[in-house]
Amino acid sequence: MMTAVESWIEEPLMTFINDSRVRIAVLLESSGRVLAQHGFTRSIDVMSACALAAAIHASAAEIGRQLDGTPFKTMHHPGRERQIFLGELATGHGAHILLTVFDDATSIGLVRLYFAELSRRLAGAAAATSSAPPTLVDFESDLNRNLAKLFGRI
Amino acid sequence: MTKTPYAELLAMLSRHRGVVGSFVVSERDGLAVDSNVQIGVHAEAVAALAAALHRKARLACGAAGCGVVTFLRLDAEKGGILAAGRDDLVLVTISEARANIGLLRVEMMRAAKALT
Repeated sequence: MMTAVESWIEEPLMTFINDSRVRIAVLLESSGRVLAQHGFTRSIDVMSACALAAAIHASAAEIGRQLDGTPFKTMHHPGRERQIFLGELATGHGAHILLTVFDDATSIGLVRLYFAELSRRLAGAAAATSSAPPTLVDFESDLNRNLAKLFGRI
Repeated sequence: MTKTPYAELLAMLSRHRGVVGSFVVSERDGLAVDSNVQIGVHAEAVAALAAALHRKARLACGAAGCGVVTFLRLDAEKGGILAAGRDDLVLVTISEARANIGLLRVEMMRAAKALT
């Protein structure tokens, strides 16, 4: 089941999950604050995944800057049975990161294809919504509030 | 850009009347290994989707006890997609309605045997 903190994320992300057949999807801000998730059952796992994804994204971006002059925006790591794809999405509400885990039900080619579509849909949805980008007042309390929302505790 | 071992094969297929593009795609990854397409063809999207299609066809034939898929033909209103695979590699051709499918099939079946 997919849950999102903000409603404009729901439809584009659900379409991505259905089309790409990924097992796990987490949308987060570059700070590591979670915005939506699909596939996790425990909030602690989401928190860990977000922290790691934000760190990997920041590292990859910096490596890209040093090697190529521009930050690397996507990363793919194929494991024996499961694979990870991490990519940056530019929306009108700032940069977001999508972390997905998938298996042989789909392929990296399909995930990349639908990721590009998700990027367009999210940018469109963000432009259509009037809500301002969330302000990062207190990271920990914001993170805990979002996790509580995603796992139905508030 | 480095020329792959498939460049000549793809060029040969693309010379056929009504062929708008041809690819060698990894079925497992859905990524194009090499392609020869006309301007306007969204190569990455077609490669990923055609690879998924071939994989599903292979699994369906396996489940139905039909054995290994040798050739896949998908007809559409304005053309079609043809695919012939070997191991993890799939040779995919996009054709217009005016293409000679019979000739393309023979060429693709022959070419697929050489895919490694």
